[in-house]
Amino acid sequence: MARPSAVVGIGQTDYRKRLDVTLDGLVRMAAIEALDDAGMTFADIDAIVIGKAPDALEGVMMPELSLADALGAVGKPIHRVHTAGSVGASTAITGATMVESGRYDRVLVVCYEKQSEGNATWALSGGRSGGQGAGGTFAPWIRSYIQRSGAPDHIGWQVAVKDRQNAMKNPHAHLHIENIDIDTVKNSPMLWDPLHFLESCPSSDGAAAVVIGSEDVARNGPNRPAWIIAHAKRTEFSSFPGRDTVKPQAGVDCAEALYKKAGITDPLHQIDCAELYVPFSWYEPMWLEGHLITPETEGWKLTDSGATALDGSFPVNPSGGVLSSNPIGASGLIRCLEAANQVRGTAGDYQVDNARVALGHAYGGAAQYFAMWIVASELSPQFN
Amino acid sequence: MPGIQDVSMTLEFPYQRTTGPVIGPFLTGLRDGKILGSRCGDRVLCPPLEYDPDTSAPLDTDLVEVGPGGTVRSWTWVVEPTRKHPFDHPFAFAMILLDGADTPLLHAVDAGASDAVSTGMRVAAQFREERTGAITDVYFVPEGQAKAQDITPGEEPVTISEHLIGLHISEPLYPHRVRFAQGLLDGRILGQRSPASGKVYVPSNGYDNMERTEMTEADDVEVADRGAVSSFTIITPVQYYGQKETEPYIRASILLDGADQPIIGVDVRDIPVDEFRVGMRVQAVWKQPDDRDVAELGNRFGGAWEGVIDRWEPTGEPDMDPRPLQEFAF
Repeated sequence: MARPSAVVGIGQTDYRKRLDVTLDGLVRMAAIEALDDAGMTFADIDAIVIGKAPDALEGVMMPELSLADALGAVGKPIHRVHTAGSVGASTAITGATMVESGRYDRVLVVCYEKQSEGNATWALSGGRSGGQGAGGTFAPWIRSYIQRSGAPDHIGWQVAVKDRQNAMKNPHAHLHIENIDIDTVKNSPMLWDPLHFLESCPSSDGAAAVVIGSEDVARNGPNRPAWIIAHAKRTEFSSFPGRDTVKPQAGVDCAEALYKKAGITDPLHQIDCAELYVPFSWYEPMWLEGHLITPETEGWKLTDSGATALDGSFPVNPSGGVLSSNPIGASGLIRCLEAANQVRGTAGDYQVDNARVALGHAYGGAAQYFAMWIVASELSPQFN
Repeated sequence: MPGIQDVSMTLEFPYQRTTGPVIGPFLTGLRDGKILGSRCGDRVLCPPLEYDPDTSAPLDTDLVEVGPGGTVRSWTWVVEPTRKHPFDHPFAFAMILLDGADTPLLHAVDAGASDAVSTGMRVAAQFREERTGAITDVYFVPEGQAKAQDITPGEEPVTISEHLIGLHISEPLYPHRVRFAQGLLDGRILGQRSPASGKVYVPSNGYDNMERTEMTEADDVEVADRGAVSSFTIITPVQYYGQKETEPYIRASILLDGADQPIIGVDVRDIPVDEFRVGMRVQAVWKQPDDRDVAELGNRFGGAWEGVIDRWEPTGEPDMDPRPLQEFAF
């Protein structure tokens, strides 16, 4: 039987372009902030987990070795997680699993990307001319979603506006776009039909960190813990006959496993808010449906109703989400730690009132890797 | 006509590094003809580090000069330099303990011949005429051969460095890819039919990943060079290093007749974007046999269609129903 685990410390850098600091300095900033929050120093940490998107993004091979000095990891177990864009959430889950196993009491989880040092589209194109990039890969699946669900065009624009408005309340966010509205989004250049420039995530630099502690550590820490009540990961191949790229089976399976573990039977009403990995605007309704939060074709209606806004009944990406900051390798961990911020009551200006249960989510690759967790203000929340 | 060759490709990108409070001054020092180390307790580390490897504490950013002389602690002789090596003739890589430093620097010694190098030998730094603030601004020679240099310091400190990092990949084509390539040169598209599921994969991986079954030459099947567009995307090219595209272009998935998996990333140039649609029937127009080239075909990426197929043309047949084609998008 696994032991309980909890987020006991959170740290984030700002996600703007960081030419002022080395990779080592960047990860250390987030790590030290998380340790301070947990009332710890590097000396208190039993093991370190590092996650980032593929090494080709910065061209630093096996960075977990070169970053060991800056993270106080010399002489300690250090692990590296690779699951493309979902890696931040997979890394958080790895850290939680290490504590749940009983082997470690205090695990430092650090994720980062410094996109300014390389070029993500080059890396995703295998270094070749004429690559498709992430937006080019997802655009046709988004078109299929629109056709299948009958969603009107403005849904994507609306998500793009809503997440950027939320980001105005988040001092760490990369993009702070004053006075953004539907017209600004739909008049921005078309990058990959139907995705406009402002419906796409930025290229960001930044690091995020959490300290995950055992129940004993969580109950004796200086600040409120966020209890990790469930987590799940699922994967499928990128390409096989009959694959549903709009609603991948691995995403459905991941959500089912997650809700079952948490004891959730009605996610839309039993979860108070969600940080979903939405790098392109349409993925908000696509994951609402793809992760069984709403029935098929109902996701865009939830978005359209305003329910996913910060003051709605099911706020999605109160922090501004991936659309406002995308240090790729860290983006999944940011979703997970922002969910934790909500249930700890430490989300600042983008705090959702009375958030008790929150979902953190990431996906990666060709929408084939999924990692999700649910955090709560209580160790055993009751669902009605 | 170029035949079937081994895979040979170079993956290369000019990465940028923020040099930070320690490596920045170290590189600035090299440009200005000085080698600097960082103080760590009662030791001096060269190359300098930003964080103490024992305690992880930030190290003093006020660096101290070491060298220019030093002692070789160990070495290896490079008989055949590559294009990325600091010399185009044989040289030594050596661990050099510079005078005043407590940790050795790995660097190049231009010694002429391997019998001129030995552990314990004295070497001295020489700076290159053209210096950019890089580790390659300096090299080492046997101490007696060092020439006096008059170096004018540069102006701005080095805060960003650029590194053209590359990887050359060379490997044989897998046997199933050789047969696929030969098919392309002959104007035929070969797939493989899974003996477990009966599904036809094009181009095949040599195994059925869903059924975890190996496929052999006996499973090779020819599929049509025509089919239906199952998905497409219009790309606005990002101007990354090595990008040759400047204008928007189509990348399409096409479900060839007789296949259960689409060919993806197919370059479509001659069908207008506003006429292109899922369900459209298209056929390949092959290049002349002498013009077909499979040099771009690797073991992992698509089918290198552009080397053998001149263009894809609408067949004029009625469209296929787009909805079921969604399951053959990628």
